[in-house]
Parts: sequence; structure tokens; C-alpha cells
Amino acid sequence: MAGWALLARLGARLRAAGAAGHRGQLGPVARHGNDATWWHEHLSEENVQFLKKTTAEEYKAQTASKLCPLKDEPWPLNEWKPDSVRVGVVAVKLGMMPIWTKSGKKHAVTLLKVQDCHVLRYISKEESEGKTAKLIVGGKNVSPFFKSEAAMEIFKEAGVPRKQKVTAFNVTDDAIIKPGTPLYAAHFRPGQFVDVTAKTIGKGFQGVMKRWGFKGQPASHGQTKTHRRPGAISTNKAAKVYRGKKMPGKMGNVYRTSYGLKVWRINTKHDIIYVNGSVPGHTNCLVKVKDTKLPNYKDCNKNPPFPTFFADGDEKLPEDLYDEEVFQFTDPSVTYA
Amino acid sequence: MAAVAMAAACGRLLLRGAAARPSRCFSSSGCRSSTDGDTAKFQPPPKPVIIDKQRQREERRYLSPEFIPPRGRTDPLKFYIERKDMIQRRKVFNIPEFYVGSILAVTTADPYADGKTNRFVGICIQRGGKGLGATFVLRNVIEDQGVEICYELYSPRIQEIKVLKLEKRLDDNLMYLRDALPEYSTFDVNMKPESRLDHEEIPVNKLQVRMKPKPWSKRWERPKYNIKGIKFELPEKKMKAAEKWSQPWLEFDMLREYDTSKIEEKIWKEINEELKK
Repeated sequence: MAGWALLARLGARLRAAGAAGHRGQLGPVARHGNDATWWHEHLSEENVQFLKKTTAEEYKAQTASKLCPLKDEPWPLNEWKPDSVRVGVVAVKLGMMPIWTKSGKKHAVTLLKVQDCHVLRYISKEESEGKTAKLIVGGKNVSPFFKSEAAMEIFKEAGVPRKQKVTAFNVTDDAIIKPGTPLYAAHFRPGQFVDVTAKTIGKGFQGVMKRWGFKGQPASHGQTKTHRRPGAISTNKAAKVYRGKKMPGKMGNVYRTSYGLKVWRINTKHDIIYVNGSVPGHTNCLVKVKDTKLPNYKDCNKNPPFPTFFADGDEKLPEDLYDEEVFQFTDPSVTYA
Repeated sequence: MAAVAMAAACGRLLLRGAAARPSRCFSSSGCRSSTDGDTAKFQPPPKPVIIDKQRQREERRYLSPEFIPPRGRTDPLKFYIERKDMIQRRKVFNIPEFYVGSILAVTTADPYADGKTNRFVGICIQRGGKGLGATFVLRNVIEDQGVEICYELYSPRIQEIKVLKLEKRLDDNLMYLRDALPEYSTFDVNMKPESRLDHEEIPVNKLQVRMKPKPWSKRWERPKYNIKGIKFELPEKKMKAAEKWSQPWLEFDMLREYDTSKIEEKIWKEINEELKK
């Protein structure tokens, strides 16, 4: 939250400076009141309310119009091939719960909610100057008032509300999707395997025992002020500290990926993916979910909805899709007869 | 109704009697003497009161503790989705009402057991977890060996949960039975279930257990645990020393309060509607 406020303030400074340049008026803006944002300062209370209302309506209209892509021509759809790479989705981590298989075994699953996820922009291979084409995808609608006009441009082009998290996926040329297309949890199917990327929980500045799992020193037997310290960091002969030496420092708050997590279940009504095991990041953080890149699971990821699942397509899905191993609570208890 | 009519009649008669003989005070004897007099009508005996059990059951609401979400910043949608699965399981499988201190018999499917099922009888000493992952711990002493089994309430391996004796204890957590004399956690495996009426209040067993000599797994005498179900036989000095850890200001800390009554009301309604379907 503080980050947003800071950004907004910075934007305000720049804006004010630009205005001053044009009109040749006062230089720095005098801040007064409790306003943390630039737009409160210049607007009356009614205007603020009006803006909020209209933006909410606009968001609704934008989202509704995107649900029906027949308004203009959709991009051509291709057949899935074994070397195709699909786009992924941006999801919100809700938390964890248990799930049982038909053999009575318990697994922990993480609930990932695909919330307002849209394709924002297509960057071709030449443009991106990389090995593949890219699709920019955003997830979770948030207020547009804290972003600069320049940063809002990408959302305006796609005609979707502003997103909290914007990320890029490398895709093959046959898997490209038109910007503005919504993505759903049904993009993934039970039984397939995914990789989940997110920022881990920040732990702050930590010592070597917590950060790298060093053993530390004994608690007693003549130790003086040396219990959790790293000990020697190099040798006399080397006479230097090697690069990459494990030392105390900031821990966590870096992007990490969990590879090869099984999808147990999909809820198509609330757009929830039930992914095996734990996932980096805290509850309510935004994560990036895509088909796994591990070669061992290629057989499980065959024939997915390609290039994505379209809600207005021919495919009608039930509310819950389960992996065949999952125990369903409508069944009677498990027995080993 | 009949009793009310009788009382009214008595009152009238009494008043008349008092008017006639002002020296007499209001008393039952006066009432009787006056009824003996002019109005010796037949009074039918009061009708037997029929208690509607269905309504009584509604009056005593019971919401299983795992339905109440823990406080935090988790999206309520997550608890709603878990609740849907929990209700679905409850529709198929009967999870009875029970408390810490109740004696239960649990039958589970066990691939390694004779006949592929396993039955365990014991006292519930703890209920833990929220949502689908809720658990309860049963304790019993079998062949002089304390045995505790932690069961998952919603695990499909559980075949049957039977309440043999429904009662509460003075505490919400009976982990101290580990340090108590074994007789307090010894229960007959072939115990017969006790019958009780649905509308009755849950009885509270005010038993105070006697402990083994120290050391214990926890210092139960400390005010942190606030245990009422132990008959402490410690020296006066030790009990005084334990009081040193009391934090009497905590009960006035309004930020620690977690009032779940409104949430409970909502969830109760939601669950009842779902279970009726």
C-alpha cells in the first residue's frame, strides 16, 4: 500500500513540475490536508464520488463487452501440437485445504483464484527481440487513480480495467490470443501439471543460520559471543572472499517457482484451480500459473483447451472438474474390502 | 390454562373472603377455607404438557466449531468453498454433535487391520483445525499404555463416529489427562452408548482429576492454561509462585476479542438451508 502511495506522490510531483513549466507558476506543490493522492487535491468531494462511480460503471461495461468477442473478428484458432506453448494465467492465492483421493490418502492443495484475468497485449517475436512471441497478461482489477497516464495506456489499448499484476508469457506463434480475451480457470484441466511463480514472503535481514541453514556454534563450552555467526569466510591462501559467498542479508521477497504441481480440481463457477502442495508467496498474493516445462509431465499435458478456454465456445463444463483419483464428497466412505 | 383459571378463581374468592373478614391475612389456608364454601365446582386436572421436540432442538443451536472461520485476512470465499464440501460430506455421512470430554467410538477403514476396519473408543481431549482439515483427538489407556489417536473429521476413511457419552468437562482442552492418573483416561472398549433425550441440556461433568507427581508436560498450574479440572495437590508456595505469571489486564484488551456471534448466525442459516435440500 505504501508503495502505491509513494508512486502516486512521485507522479504528482512530476505532473506538478510539468504544469509549472508550462504556466511558469509556482515550482513545488505545497501539500496540505490528509490527502495521499494527487487527484484528491484538485477535486471536490462530489467530483471524487462521481469519478469513482463512472469508473466502476466503465469497468463493468468493459468486462461485459469482452465476454462476447463476436463484436469484432477473433484471431484464427490453430490445432494443438506437441511443441506448442500456451499462455498462462495470473491468479490470486486464496489459501490451502486438504483433499482426499479414492484410496483414502490425504493431500494438501492450494486454492488459486483466476480473477479478472485478461490478455493485454501481443508482442511478436521480432518486436520482443527474443526467441519467441510474448503475450502480456494482467490479473485482478484495481483502482486506476494511482497510475500515471503512460502506465494506463496498455489497459486502454486492450480495452480492459487496470490490473494489479501484469506479466509476460512466452508463447509459440500458433498459441497467440487476441488482446482483451478473458482467461479462466478452465484454461487448465485436472490431471495436468503446472508451474507456479510468485514472490516469496519477505523475511527481512537475516543471519546465516536462517538464510542459508548454517549450523552455528555451540551454546556453551566456553563460547564467547559466537553462537549464530558464520565462522571463517575464506582461507589464508585465497586471501579474498569468493563471489557468491553465503553471508547474512535480505531474505525472501524474490521470485521463485514451484515446478510440476498437479491440478487436482477446477471450479469453473468461481474460477478456482486446486493445485497440489504449497506455492510461493503469502495468502492473497498474485501468482503466475502456466503449463509445466518439466519434460516428464509432457504426457499429462496433452490436448489442452487451445489456445485457451473460451467461455462462449461450444464446450459446456460442469461446475466442478475433478481428477479421476479425487474422492468426491457425494460418495460414501472409503473401504478396503 | 386450567391452573391459571384456578388461580384466578382463588384470587377472586380470596378477595371476597378478605372483604368479609378483614382480620385474616392472605394465605393458602384462607384460600382453601373459602373454596370449601360456596363454589365447590369440579376442577379438571391440568392437561399434560406436550413438548414439541423439533422446536426444542431448534432452540438449542449447535454449530460445529470448525465452521467458524479463524480471524485473518483470508478471502471469505475460501471458507465458503470449504464449507460447501463440508456440507456435502455431512449430507452423506453423519457427523454427530460432540464436545471435548465426550466419549466416542470411531470406526475407520484400515488396510492393515483384521477385517479392514479399526474401532477405537476414547475420550475426546482436543478439537483442532478449521474447515475441512478439522481434527479431534481421542485418548484411552489400553493395557496400561496411554493411546491417543488424532482423527480427521472429514476424512473419507472414517466409517462411523458414535457418541457413547455426550458430556462436557470444565475445560475446553483436556491435554492434561496425559499427566493425570491413568484411571481418569481409562474407558471400557465395550462401553454401551448412553441414551439421552434430544432436547436436554448437555451435562457438564465437574470432575476434578488428580495428577501424577511432577514433572508434567506443561506447568498446568499456571494461569495461562486456566485449568479448572485439576485438583492441584501442590504446596501453597508453588501455587503462589504460579500466580506470578497471571496477566489480569488481558481480559480488558479489546483487540484480542473475536466476537463470532454474527458470523455464527450467518453460517448456521446457510448450513441449515443447505442440509435441508
